[in-house]
Amino acid sequence: MDTLSASSRDAQSTARELHPLEIKVLLHADEGTEVSQASLISELSYNTGQANQALSWLAAKGFAAEKSRATRVLYEITDFGRECFEKGTYEERIIRLISAEGPQSLPDIAARLGLDPRDVGSAFGGLSREKVLVMDDQKRAALPPGANNPLDGSPAAVRALLTRAAKTGALEEKSLTGAERDLAASLAKKRGSATSLFRLVEREEVTFVMTPAGGEARRQLQRAGTTGEEAGALTPEMLKTGAWKTARFRRYNIDVPPARILPGRSNPYCVFLERLKDKLASLGFEEFDGPLVETEFWNGDALFMPQFHSARDIHDVYSMKDPTHAREIEQPWLDQVAAAHENGWTTGSRGWGYAFDRTFTRRLILRSQGTVLSAKTLPHAKVPGKYFGVVRCFRYDRVDATHLADFYQTEGIVLGEEVNLRTLLGLLKMFAEEVAMAKEVKYVPGFFPFTEPSVEVHIKHPTLGWFELGGSGIFRPEVTEPLGVKVPVLAWGLGIDRMALTSMGLHDIRDLFSPSIEDVRTRRMR
Amino acid sequence: MPKIDVNEKLFFQVLGKKMGTDELTELLTAAKAELDDWPEGEGILRVELNDTNRPDLWSTLGLARQLSIYLGNKAPAYRFFSRPGTVQKTEDRRVVVDAGLAGIRPYIASFVAEGKKITDALLREIIQSQEKLCGNFGRKRRTIAMGVSRADLIQWPVHYGAADPDATLFIPLDFDKPLSMRKILSDHPKGREYGPLVAAFEKFPLLSDGRGEVLTFPPVINSALIGGVRVGDSRLFIDLTGPELDTILLACSIAACDFADMGFTILPVAVHYPVETRYGRTIATPFYFQKETVLAVKEAEKRLGEKFTPAQAARCIKRLGSAVRVDGELLVVSPPEYRNDFLHPVDVIEEIMIGRGMESFEPVMPRDFTVGRISEAEWYARSVRETMIGLGYQEMIYGYLGSRTDFVDRMGIDGAEVMEIENPMTESFDIVRNSILPNLLASESVSANAAYPHRIFEVGKIVVRDPSENSGSRTHNTLAFLVADRETGFNEVDAHLLALFYYLSLDPRLVPLSDPRFIPGRAAEIRVKGRKVGIMGEIHPAVLENWGIQMPCAGVELSLDLMREE
Repeated sequence: MDTLSASSRDAQSTARELHPLEIKVLLHADEGTEVSQASLISELSYNTGQANQALSWLAAKGFAAEKSRATRVLYEITDFGRECFEKGTYEERIIRLISAEGPQSLPDIAARLGLDPRDVGSAFGGLSREKVLVMDDQKRAALPPGANNPLDGSPAAVRALLTRAAKTGALEEKSLTGAERDLAASLAKKRGSATSLFRLVEREEVTFVMTPAGGEARRQLQRAGTTGEEAGALTPEMLKTGAWKTARFRRYNIDVPPARILPGRSNPYCVFLERLKDKLASLGFEEFDGPLVETEFWNGDALFMPQFHSARDIHDVYSMKDPTHAREIEQPWLDQVAAAHENGWTTGSRGWGYAFDRTFTRRLILRSQGTVLSAKTLPHAKVPGKYFGVVRCFRYDRVDATHLADFYQTEGIVLGEEVNLRTLLGLLKMFAEEVAMAKEVKYVPGFFPFTEPSVEVHIKHPTLGWFELGGSGIFRPEVTEPLGVKVPVLAWGLGIDRMALTSMGLHDIRDLFSPSIEDVRTRRMR
Repeated sequence: MPKIDVNEKLFFQVLGKKMGTDELTELLTAAKAELDDWPEGEGILRVELNDTNRPDLWSTLGLARQLSIYLGNKAPAYRFFSRPGTVQKTEDRRVVVDAGLAGIRPYIASFVAEGKKITDALLREIIQSQEKLCGNFGRKRRTIAMGVSRADLIQWPVHYGAADPDATLFIPLDFDKPLSMRKILSDHPKGREYGPLVAAFEKFPLLSDGRGEVLTFPPVINSALIGGVRVGDSRLFIDLTGPELDTILLACSIAACDFADMGFTILPVAVHYPVETRYGRTIATPFYFQKETVLAVKEAEKRLGEKFTPAQAARCIKRLGSAVRVDGELLVVSPPEYRNDFLHPVDVIEEIMIGRGMESFEPVMPRDFTVGRISEAEWYARSVRETMIGLGYQEMIYGYLGSRTDFVDRMGIDGAEVMEIENPMTESFDIVRNSILPNLLASESVSANAAYPHRIFEVGKIVVRDPSENSGSRTHNTLAFLVADRETGFNEVDAHLLALFYYLSLDPRLVPLSDPRFIPGRAAEIRVKGRKVGIMGEIHPAVLENWGIQMPCAGVELSLDLMREE
């Protein structure tokens, strides 16, 4: 063994991974021997598929090499041919009927044999040309006077071909005599027709020759005593009977790629949102949620956005068709909020100074900002309290690579006696570090209709660089006091879509909601 | 948020110094402004203004003025303002308001600007201020319309009256023949755009001079003659009209300060009202009407988390243009003429924050302990998702808006439970989804190339009609799952449903269901404790055909909220 050359070592390792179909060929045909599909079928009883597989595998490994290609012409027996082989050809059936029962008219023959009159007509035509049958004076098909063995002539030649073909499925053209070839060709003439006995087929036949490497593999197999009959799989029966103790297991080629798995799997965007929620909960925030259909009251009025504010235009919010308005708005919130708009109520504000519209406030819309849920949380919020929501909002926007008609907003509030600008900055710093993994943070004055003061937080993201992470502020007294809250309340919102896209290697925000199954199946999370 | 084109030369001239992008970006934060673009060689800065209550910042001069004061330059003194008790001379410059305008557009403020020739650049500035002031702050001219006319052609006094729309004719700007006011509404592009603001009234507002010559038809269009201001003019009459007095006075003040900063001399105009207003029957405009705001220093300290002396706080406030009088622990703040955005003392507190500089506040962590918590509904959704994934399903996530075509027509349902949007932007989004199954089928319709079997699901929200609710609808947390394969059907999804319910400790009962979405005899209503919680079945081939799907599908849809209810 230690004298093995490099190439024979290759052959050795390759030989281990051979399939039984290859092993049998190698053991059967020594170096220099020719093999072909036909020879494997006749000599190893392979079927066509097995022969083709064995040859292509051996050729790929260099154990067999293509030597020549030739076109084989075959006459394959058709299904109709097999039927005629069993029941007799139309001609044979007609002759048998007349021999047994005497002359018959052609329509009677068709009726008796259950054949199409046209088929009977053409069969009779052929037989009468060869004088096997004649038409008598009463227009009946009859045996000619003195005929004794009417099946001996041309019907016998046809039967001989059918008999040979029925055994192997096809007749090799080169194995036929001139007369047989002419007959077979005429019987296959109506190619594709349902009543042809044979079908002419041309096949390319490749002849291989076993190579020296094949010879080396053969010797390896012989030395190892491999027969190609090794066990493919360990079975429960082998374990039960102990047969595994004497069995030899075929070696597998571990380089063959396995079939693709289609696993059950979470959506990376949903995982991103779930982790975000977990992160916020871990920072002491309690989750809130609510219905998608809201009133103008909660969506804008409760946030002290004047009813004439440009962001509340008909073209900025989706309104519902039926019903158009909610039945009622909870008291005392409605009266208190209305008063805050009109004259500031008891908040110390001068208010917006307009007549609050109590019908408009009941208008049903799709919520346009997550802050709605912050406002709705206020009447029953704990002090101190921290709340968050990762909620779907709806925006009157054309959909493109950076805008969606509905999308997630991440928002929340913090209630407490010691809530102030500096704790707001501390909170923003915590979000920047914990949620966005930012090292650098910058604060700039911002504007939101419902907070005063208002602050934007900009961060330096590890991959995105500087961008605005979110907006925040301290709720105006005109927001908190009418909803029954006496302590200051921080309100904050984070823009997380860009981080979500980055985490999935995407660039188009529409891809977050891709309907394509293949897209989603193959998506990875960084 | 308004965006404006800032004239680079004019802007830096007012600031008194040039600066680069970084320094400018930093400085702009004091006006809650962002530099959008500074294109090379165009002489223009594109700036976005975030504060919708500060229309005074929406012009080159207004923005430059604010930043200039912030940098320590002296605030300009506007001596042409009348105040309660101090009335400026108006000579023969008078506007007489007709009583017939009550309920239509009763208020007007105006002034004359003279002493400087209008150039192309100035004309662009004036048009931009007009657009931002009237378009954004004035809600598309509803509450503010601004007219600029050629004062030299005016014979005083000017009349602001209510005119008969059919009997009053004049040549509107950009036209060459007279039209009736009503005809202007239909034939002039501005008439079609702004006509709806007055169309319903019997009479239309009209500004004309002593000879009856028309200046402007607010809020629609100027006249071609007196209203046709052009480069080279040097004496202008500016009018602001609208339904709210304070809004009009503020807009007038902003415009007057801008013209003054451009180098014009402002001449006040006396407006005579037919009735008493809150500032008297005659108001000389521009008029300072703003009220003082009183802030206790300790309120500022509480909200900002920092200690100040009253003097320190006053200094910060003054940096943004307001006048401050210190009265013990109280700060008495008067906004500058061009501002009226202090609704509550907290608005002054923000001035202290900006005036002191954001970077001077040290972040501190809130010390209050609170318990973090994921909602019950989310926990439930998570166990459902986990089980579905274990059953071999791919999780999907979809938009909640959809089309009637997809959610009603293609599904073959009557759509009675579907909540429609009254003002859809496009037909692709004219309903809120009532079901997740159509989303899953939409996935199928674009995924024939993906290896089968397809097992997909989503946990998300749907909205269905529910007359018992205050809003007429109810939002449900919902699960839907779908299998598409050569050989799939009721039994497969039924097996998965059963597995899911086992792990949720629920006992489902199936009741035969007749539903156009499913093949008859292969559909069921899913009940828990006698209550319907969902539906399931083999998707009807007619539905599959509507979606262009050529693979059998079976699906289940369940309300997690109903399943969770005891």
